[in-house]
Amino acid sequence: MSNINGKVYAMNAITPMRPWKTWILRLVFFLLGALKSKQQDLINLSFIQFARWVIIPRNSFPFFGGTQERDSMKYDYLLFFSNFNGTWNQYIDAFSAVLSDGLNLIWRWSEKFPGSVPVTPFKDYIARVQFDTDYYYTAYPEATANDVKSAHIVQQALDNFRGQATTGTPEQFQHAYLEFLLTVQAHLGDTGEAPLVS
Amino acid sequence: MANQNGSVYGLTLLCPILNDEKASPSHDLQIRDYLSKLTADSTSPFAIAPGTHLARIVVMDDVVYVGMPACEEHLKSKYLVFESNLDGDLDTYLTGLATTIPEHIDAIWSHCTGYPGCADKAKFVQYMKNCQIETTFFFAAVNDKSVPQTLTALQTQRAVAQFIAEHQGISPAETQRDFIEFLKVLDAAPPLKPAMNAPSRDIKTGGRNE
Repeated sequence: MSNINGKVYAMNAITPMRPWKTWILRLVFFLLGALKSKQQDLINLSFIQFARWVIIPRNSFPFFGGTQERDSMKYDYLLFFSNFNGTWNQYIDAFSAVLSDGLNLIWRWSEKFPGSVPVTPFKDYIARVQFDTDYYYTAYPEATANDVKSAHIVQQALDNFRGQATTGTPEQFQHAYLEFLLTVQAHLGDTGEAPLVS
Repeated sequence: MANQNGSVYGLTLLCPILNDEKASPSHDLQIRDYLSKLTADSTSPFAIAPGTHLARIVVMDDVVYVGMPACEEHLKSKYLVFESNLDGDLDTYLTGLATTIPEHIDAIWSHCTGYPGCADKAKFVQYMKNCQIETTFFFAAVNDKSVPQTLTALQTQRAVAQFIAEHQGISPAETQRDFIEFLKVLDAAPPLKPAMNAPSRDIKTGGRNE
């Protein structure tokens, strides 16, 4: 089991849904995708690198015949995969505190979902529907979502600045260099080994 | 298409694991045993194969029963779940896996029903696609950068921070001269490999949050 790799935690969760409710959830996701402003809280939280929700219709589990028996279920299932920075408790707490309306909109169609507030029954529910990761890989284990965003800002600023750096007089360089510093100064945090968490 | 967010593709596979009562240990345990020995650093198969930002492999034993009044039900097969966040085109990515790390892919997926092996790449790609579940909603914090671009940016960020820290209070002419040299060194530096630990930065920045 390896839910953690460097600064990223892999969460897997699966919840049952009555098939007729699935269509409501699909509409919710359609609207969430179409209205970028509704994703703003998720973007602002800025500790999720990638996340996805996947609905498996009750008769759509892959089937190849032979000795395999077909899985035909009563419920559709909602799979949730998240790659986030920080600990499990920090993640659930932040989700509950900041995104409670959004979470309720997504998971209220799942059986026995208690709501994301208060947080204690919510954590109990997540713990019940979560299953562990067997292998977890990240191409940049020392970087958080914010580190990656910052690194691209620094790269862009350097690409813009390099022309001025090599052609101007020292005084012109100094002026452009200070502007470059102002652009990147908040984006130079050290990446490195992750702290030990559980 | 919800599998795609910008230039990043969200691949979700559910591959049924062979259900053979005579197998000992069972196929799911053999997969878990293999995965437990697989490295996740720069020698990882996914660091060798191109295009993976983050990926996970999970043996899903069963669905979850959440308690009364919900109905209790169970899967007839266990499923191997592969979740990958990758660059670009799915066919290219899957072919890349079959080409660069076939021994690992075969060792893991040979415990799955109907798996044809990596040798026939067309069949392999088709099998993986048959196991694919469409992503309903896919979120990516950064959705317009490839793995090499992100690794280069992280390397640049580290080098720039080091340069700035070492050039405080130095004359403009000297800073400019060093900066031009710095750009040459940075451009010539070998690219950071995926999942490779970067060298520790030799400066102490301090602060409560560091």
